[in-house]
Formats: sequence, C-alpha cells, structure tokens
Amino acid sequence: MFEYALSFMIFLPILGGLALLFAPVGRGPARGIGMGIALVVLAMGVELFIGFAATGEMQHVEHRPWSTALGISYSLGVDGISLLVLMAGAVLFPLVYAVFTTREKGFYANLLLVQGAMIGAICATDLVLFYIFWEVMLLPVFFMIGIYGGEQRLPATLKITIYTIAGSLLMLAALIYVGVTHHEQFGFWSFAVADLSALELRGGFTAVAFFMFMVAFAIKIPLFPFHTWLPDAYTEAPTSTTFVLSAIMAKIGVYGVIRFVIPIFDLEFARWAMLLSLAGVAGMIYCGLAAIAQQDIKRLLAFSSASHMGIIAVGVFCMNVQALTGSLFQIAAHATSTGVLFLFVGLMEERMQTRRIDDFGGIAYQAPIFATFFAIAMLASVGLPGTSGFIGEFLIILGAVKFSMPIAILTGTTLVIGVCYMLWMFQRVFFEQAGERSARFQDLKLTEALTFLPVILLIIGMGIFPQAFISKIEPAAQQQVAQFQSSGKSEVAVTAQAAPSRLNHQN
Amino acid sequence: METTAAYISLIPLFPLVGALITGLLHMFTCRSRKLPESVYATLGCIGPLLSLFFAVVVFVHLKGMPAEERFLSHIPFTWFAVGDLRVDMGFLADPLSSLMLLFVTFIGSLIHIYSIGYMAGDDNFGKFFSYLNLFLGAMLILVLGNGPVVMFVGWEGVGLCSYLLISFYSKERDNVLAGNKAFIVNRIGDLGFVLGVSLLFWAIGAGGFDYLSLQANASGLAPAVGIAVCLLLFLGACGKSAQIPLYVWLPDAMAGPTPVSALIHAATMVTAGVYMVARFSFLYVQFPIAGSVVAWVGILTALLAAIFGLFQRDIKKILAYSTVSQLGYMFAGVGVAAYSAGIFHVFTHAFFKALLFLGAGAVIYAMHHQQDIWKMGGLKKKMPKTYWTMLVGALALAGCPPLSGFFSKDEILFSALAKGHTGIWIVGVVVAGLTAYYTFRMIFVVFHGQPRDQHAYDQAQDAPAVMTVPLIILAVGAFFVGFLNLPGIFGGNLQVSHWLAPSLTESHPHVGIGVELLAIFAGVAAFAIGIYIAYRKFNEGAPEPEYQGFARFGYHKFYVDEVYNALFVQPYKAFGGVISRILEPKVVDLPVRLSARLYRWGGNAFKALQVGYVRVYAIYMVIGLSLMSLFLSQSIN
Repeated sequence: MFEYALSFMIFLPILGGLALLFAPVGRGPARGIGMGIALVVLAMGVELFIGFAATGEMQHVEHRPWSTALGISYSLGVDGISLLVLMAGAVLFPLVYAVFTTREKGFYANLLLVQGAMIGAICATDLVLFYIFWEVMLLPVFFMIGIYGGEQRLPATLKITIYTIAGSLLMLAALIYVGVTHHEQFGFWSFAVADLSALELRGGFTAVAFFMFMVAFAIKIPLFPFHTWLPDAYTEAPTSTTFVLSAIMAKIGVYGVIRFVIPIFDLEFARWAMLLSLAGVAGMIYCGLAAIAQQDIKRLLAFSSASHMGIIAVGVFCMNVQALTGSLFQIAAHATSTGVLFLFVGLMEERMQTRRIDDFGGIAYQAPIFATFFAIAMLASVGLPGTSGFIGEFLIILGAVKFSMPIAILTGTTLVIGVCYMLWMFQRVFFEQAGERSARFQDLKLTEALTFLPVILLIIGMGIFPQAFISKIEPAAQQQVAQFQSSGKSEVAVTAQAAPSRLNHQN
Repeated sequence: METTAAYISLIPLFPLVGALITGLLHMFTCRSRKLPESVYATLGCIGPLLSLFFAVVVFVHLKGMPAEERFLSHIPFTWFAVGDLRVDMGFLADPLSSLMLLFVTFIGSLIHIYSIGYMAGDDNFGKFFSYLNLFLGAMLILVLGNGPVVMFVGWEGVGLCSYLLISFYSKERDNVLAGNKAFIVNRIGDLGFVLGVSLLFWAIGAGGFDYLSLQANASGLAPAVGIAVCLLLFLGACGKSAQIPLYVWLPDAMAGPTPVSALIHAATMVTAGVYMVARFSFLYVQFPIAGSVVAWVGILTALLAAIFGLFQRDIKKILAYSTVSQLGYMFAGVGVAAYSAGIFHVFTHAFFKALLFLGAGAVIYAMHHQQDIWKMGGLKKKMPKTYWTMLVGALALAGCPPLSGFFSKDEILFSALAKGHTGIWIVGVVVAGLTAYYTFRMIFVVFHGQPRDQHAYDQAQDAPAVMTVPLIILAVGAFFVGFLNLPGIFGGNLQVSHWLAPSLTESHPHVGIGVELLAIFAGVAAFAIGIYIAYRKFNEGAPEPEYQGFARFGYHKFYVDEVYNALFVQPYKAFGGVISRILEPKVVDLPVRLSARLYRWGGNAFKALQVGYVRVYAIYMVIGLSLMSLFLSQSIN
C-alpha cells in the first residue's frame, strides 16, 4: 500500500461526491461513478486487510500538524481496534449501488460523501479530526432521510436531528474540557489519543465530561434509552441509508467508545461499567421484545439491529480480552448480517411495494434462492455456530461471565429473544400459504444472486475461519485491555500515595 | 496418548458435502424442471454410507489399540484463539464417541434408505435429503468434537435441522409453529449450555479447552462453580433431550415426516444431552449432588411422560412420549453415575425406537396419513412384516427379556438400587410397568382385533422393500444388541461398559447377588403386569374410550402447554405490544418531543419580545448595558 492510502480512501469518495453534486450527469452515470469509487475503496480495503500485520501497533500512520497553536493534527492510522470497523465501511458499499439502481444523482453523491466521512472518522487518531469527520458524516444522512425518505420522513429527520445535535454539542464541550485539561497538566496543547490517554482525570467535572462523551456515542450506537430516534429513522430512511446507519454508522459509536472514551476516562469508565452494561442489556431485551410486535419488517429489523448493538456494547463494557475481541468481531459480523438483511428488505419492497409482514407469505416456494440467502443472514443474526454471528456473541457472553454473572445471564437471553422474533417473522414471510402478491414474487436473478453471494460466503467464512480476522485484532485488544488494567491499578496506587502529600502541600 | 488420524475429520464432512450438493441442486432446479428422485436418493445416501464405512474403520482401529490408549485425534485448524481461550476445530474419537459414531451412522444410513421409499413423490424430495444430510453432519460434529465449543457447533446445528425438518411441510401453519417451538425451547437450554461452558472456561479452561485437558484439570474446580457448571450444562441437556421443564417441544415435533421423527427425535439428536453428561462424567462424578438432580429430573420426566403416553391416540404422539420417558431413564442412569448404563440405553433405544417409528411410518403410509390409533385395528393380517418387526420393537421397549431393552433398562435400575437411590429405583419400576402397558395398548389397538375403518383397512398393505428391509435390519438389532452388554449374572462380562471405561469416570457397585436378582425380578414383574393389563383391555378390539376424569387430564397432558402459554408466551407477546404501542411512542420518546416543544415555546416567547418599535429596543439596550457594567464592576473588584 502506498503512503497516503488512508487519505486516499477518505477523500476519493468525498471529492467524488462533491464533484457529483455539481456535475451535470444523469442517474445512470452517477450510479456508475459511485460504484466505481466504491469498488476502488473496496479493493484498497481488501489489500489493506491482507497486508495488515497482526501487531498491536498503529499502521499506515499519517501525521501532519494542522493547527500547531492548538495542537490539532491531521493524524490517521489503523490498528486492530479499527481494522474491522474500517472493513465494514470499505467493503460493503458496492452492494448498495448494485441493489438500488433507481435513485437520483444527489442520492448517490450523498452516499459517497457519507462513506468518505465515515472512513475518516474510523481512521482519525486525533480527537478534533475525529469530531470533524463525525459531524461531516451526519450531514448526508439528514439529506438522505429528509429528501429521499418515506412518507413520515420529516418527523423522523427532526428526531434524528435533535438527538444528533444534542449529542454533538455535548461531545464538543467534553472535547474542549479534555483539551484544556491536557494543557493544564502537561503544558502543551494536544488532541492526539496517545497523548490524551496519559491524562489523569479526576474530580467532579470528569464524570460529567465522561457522560457527555458517552451520551454522544450512546445516541449513535444507540444505547438504551437513547434509541428512540432509531425505529423511526431506520424505517423512514431509504433502505440504502438504513443500511449505512445500521451496518456502519452505529458501529462507529461503539468504536468511538473503545478508541477515545476508554483510554481517556479509564477510571470513570471502570466506575460506571456496571451501569453502562446494564443499559446495554436493557436495550437488548427492550428492543428484542419490541421487535416481536412489529408489523413492518423493516421496523422489526430496526429493533433487531438496536437489540444486537446492545450486546456489542456490553462486550465493550466488560473490558476483558475475550469480550472486547468479541465485540470487535461482532461489529463486522453484524454489519454483514444485518446489513444484508436490510438490503433484502429493500429488494422485497421494490418487488412487492409493501413492507407489511402480513402481505408476504410463502415466498420460499417462489424464490428458493432468495429464501436461502435470507435464511443464512438471519441465522447469522441469531448467532448460529458456523455463521459469523456466533463467534462474537459467544466471546461476549464468555467475557461477560468473567465480568459479572447476572450481566452474563441477561446477555445470554439474546440467544432466546433473537430467535423468537426472527423465526416468527420468517414463518409469516417465507412459509405458510402464499398470498396473492407473494405468488408473483420473482427469485433473485443471476446477477443479483452473484452480487449477494460474496457477502453470504463472507458470513459463512467468518463463522468457520474466524481466526483469520481474530488474529489481526486480538493483539490490539490485548494491548488495550492491558493498558486499561495497568492504568487502573497505577491510578489506584497513585491516589493512595498521593492523597496525603497533596494535603501536606495545602497545609 | 493421542494418535493422529486425519480421516476422522472426514466423517462429518461427507454428509455435509452431500447436503451442499443436493441442496444446491434442489435450489436451482426446483422451480424449473425437477431432477429425478433417483439423483437425490443416490447423492443423499452416499455421504451417510461413507461416514458409516469410516466409522467402522475408526472402531476397528481403536479396537486394535491397547485399552488405555484408545484415542484418535485430529485438529484440522484452530477455530479461534483469544487470550487464554483457545478453541480448536478438532475431532476426537475415543471409545465413547466411536460407539456413538457407529450407531449414529448406521441408523442414519438406514433411515436415509427408508426415506427413499417414504418420501417418494414429495415435491421437496431433494430438500429433504439435503436437510437430512446436514443433520447427520451436524450430529457427527456433535459426537466427534474434541471440546465443549465444537460440540456446541453440532449441538446448534442439529437444532437447526430439527427446526427445518419439523416445519418441513411448511404450508401448514401449525407445523412451522411446532418448528419454532422446538428451536426456541432448545435455545433456552442452549443459554444454560453457553453459560456453563463459559463458567467452566474461567474455572479450568486456561490450560486447554478440550475434554482431555479439562479432565486433567478438573480436580482444581471449586465445588460451588463445579455444581453450577454441571447444572447449567444439564439445562442445555434438558432442552435438547426434552426433560422437565423443557420437554414440551418434542411431542409437537412429530409434525415432521416420520423418518425425521425416527432419526432425529428418537434415535440420535435427543440423546445428545445424555451423551453430553457422559462426556462430562469427570465433572458430574465429582459433584454427586448435581448428579442427583439429573437423576431425579430424569426419572420424574420418565414418569410424567409415561403417564401422558397412556392416554394419547396419535400413534406418533404415543411414541414421542415414550421417547421422552426413555430419555428420562437415560438421565436417571447417568445421574446416578452409571454412565455406561445410560449410554448403553441410548444405544439400544436407538434401535428399537427407530424401529417403532419407522414401523409407525409404514402404518401411516399404508393408512394414507391416518395417525389416530382408534381408526386402525386388525392390521396384523394385512401388514405382517410391519407387525412382526414392530412387535420386536415393542417387546424391546417394554423390557421383555432377553431383548435389548430389557438389559439396558435393567442395568440402569440395578445401578440406581445398588448405589442406594431407592426412590429412583421404585419410580423406575413403576415407569417400566407403565411403559409395557402403553406400548402394548398401541400394538393391540393397531394390529389386533377388528378393523375400525374398513375402507382404509382394505387398502392397507406392507410397504415396499426399500422400507421393510430397514425395518427388518433394525428388528434384528433391537433383538440382539442387548447381548453385547450381558451382565455377569447371565454369564456375560459387560463388554460395552468395559469398552467405554477409558472415556468415562465411573465405578461399578459391588453388591450381593440378591440385589441383582431383586432388580431383575421387579423389572420382569412390572413388564408382565403392564402387558397383562393391556392384553385384557385391548386385545379383542376395545371400543374407542371416552376420555373422562384423569384420562382427560392425561390426554391433555395435564394442560402444561396451556400453562406455559399463559405464563410465558402470552406475557412475552403482550410485553412486546406494550413496548411498541405504549412505552415506545408515549413514554421513552417524551424527552425528544418535549425538547421540540421547548424550542417552539422558546421561539414564541422570544417572538413576543420582537415588537418592532425602536423605543422598546432602546430600553432593551439600556437594560443590557447596565447589566454589563454591573457585571464588569463586580468582576474588577
């Protein structure tokens, strides 16, 4: 890979998207351009993955000062923590262009913009740079929902806007607090993660700043009870946008917690881990229960997605190697399974003009290939061994047992809750008697089948040979957990010794 | 101690490849032109037969080794490794798994062949063989896996195939619901399994997470953790092997095609829980209290299911409850630490129960999908081959000496008595009597007496050879396999138990011959009494009884399904409804709506200030300036 590979992966889509906005081209060419760029990014992502060395170190590092006065730098890099998130962002996009062929030019432009900004947020190792990409990636989402969404798109857009802006402002405030504290403690400005993790944050406001960060990320994940924007947004958004939101953007929320919150606020994090994991579990159960009552298949998948994100979050909060690796793996696994499920729903909607579960029925008899693909993705989503979904879920539950048995038991209920709504949905959509409309449902055409085949193979491949992925992320996870634990211990030691001396000083 | 033998990894692979090929063929051709059934039949049977061949090779290989070194192992690749956790995709053939391997592949192959006849003419013939192959592959992974996590792959895999095959006739809503029920109830058990495995890992798994390493480290297990692990794993077994309180899915599972009921829901998959407990005998033997729980749950399940079996009218439901009941015996066996006795009952039960199901399938096939025994009668004359083979199966099930079921059941009951579990023994003897009664109630009503449906009776005949030959083979097995484990009192030397000894941690009780004779006498007496009552009541073609009082209660299975529905299913659905209709839009969403309102109110409030007169703005300015100067003067001081 060449030197500026990451910058290239970020700015090729962004510049392409901007150019597309202003260039006078029609839908077809716009889609072609988007597809081309997505394929280039895909190829680069695959090459990066193959060449990725299984160490805990940052790779493909780019670093140039941006604002020396404030210590802001343009710093990029990939390590085991971000690798699979990056893959989710880089690899899955061509599917969107392949499946949704009838969108307008502006829509494809927004897709390009959002991809570039997401890759930027994933690769940024400077907190301010991350914040900028974070904000940029949200804009195209508003447009895509607000302009190209379903009937109830405006309330949905309003809701997501309120939530997101609230989260962003909190993050900005906390970010400034962290930067200032760093300046106070070390005498120079810096927003690089490596520098910030050396901070010793304690005192009253630290908890507030910690929660400001957490809320911003919790909204994106979404973590209970900050999830209420999700069902509406996921349902009203064009399915391709839902795909982007669920498969990739939600993961950046989790990733943000691992990359920034844990190293910076290690003490606060350890203090609140139990509460946070409870929130994760509560969200998993709550959304899982809500899913079973849905009439709209897309809304059902939205709740299902939120439910699974709760589990991924729990894995992060447990803070041991198994659970963290499980979460990182599950990020990619969930992106493939849930992402593909959303695409399938989009396909069904295009063919049948409906998303009501009761309108379907008997599709398996009309479309055996489609039904098989759907079933494989669904089984991955409920965590069947042999598919990608099992490894992550198993590691998370295993890690949770170490963390706390009650949390583990609650986490484990996902095994049951997941199958309840999924099988009930699968029965009504694919089995039973075929309705009038579904009797005309067309199976996947050869090209469509070939488009989805790589992802289906990926789902199975990740389940059978997960070590190819885990060996690359595990060293970084080890390192992160080791750092967290050592800093926790030393902090305790420092407090124990430093407390009297500070008193002396004041005296 | 471990010898590498790469070919054991092939054993599960053959049926899996078969499943893939038949599945793809069916998927691509079912909508356009159908391939002839012979293609699927051939492709579908190759895999199981190859597995059977290699299973025999493994067995012979192991037999040639010294008893204490009988381990063949192959690890194709590391599945995943995180921190101390290292899970290999590895396979282990030892005496225990090789015995399981033999009968799973043998009965699996027979049932594949039988299905060629039974499923002939079905639209989804290819799909059926694909699922059946997939099942066999998963079952072989379960049996051969070298550690709990690989076992779980097979464990869930067979669950999936069970779901797919129960809901095979998926146009009927009830069939799919039965499949869902099986999957969901199994998943509740799997939750216990996963938690148990995780707990086990954190306790003693760092030194290697396969059975042999775990066994080596098992002594370091703290009692509290060990008991928790045993009970959690047993919860998994309750799901898979249909024990109280998770037995409810198995009777419903009879919605699937009959060969499926024979293979999955009688002979192989449902015995996985027993196999698992035996596999972990090194844990259970350390914690007798966990073993007692297993034994009591088992024997009470045996009793309950036998009571239900007395009153059923659907021939497959009778056999289903009988399966639940026999599984209960097996758990009673492994629970009292008589692991080889439990596994031996798994082995014999596979023969006679598969035989009974396949026989029932032949009857159903002949009666044009009639399953109600009160619509049959006198079929002995029309279907002699089916009758005689099923009679052998029924005698074996009822525990008639010297058929296979007698020896294996006797071994369990004797072990319970000899190890001091008198309560379990007494219940076990009662269940033996009930078993003989309900089994022969079925045989007498179906085959003896006068036909109850003359039209169906006239058309009934024995099934084609492809179905009857497996019946005969199984009948021979059901008759004779008991002699493989002849106890000393009959001049044998417990060959199967000795074969299994290197895999299991168990001790054989040494008690006087009186205890042994007592056990045998009680078993035979229970059998004789049960069969005598059944003979008196049903042999001469009893009329269809009316279900009243306790019989009605029993026929409705004590309304357990209804209670579960009211306690779990409906509240679950209601809860989902409450969340999505009330909680979600009206409560959790409130802050967002309020913040939107707040903006509007704020905007309105500020709008009131914007009156448009210069003089008012001048006043604002004065107020602002004075506040500012006040603030400045304060801060300077």
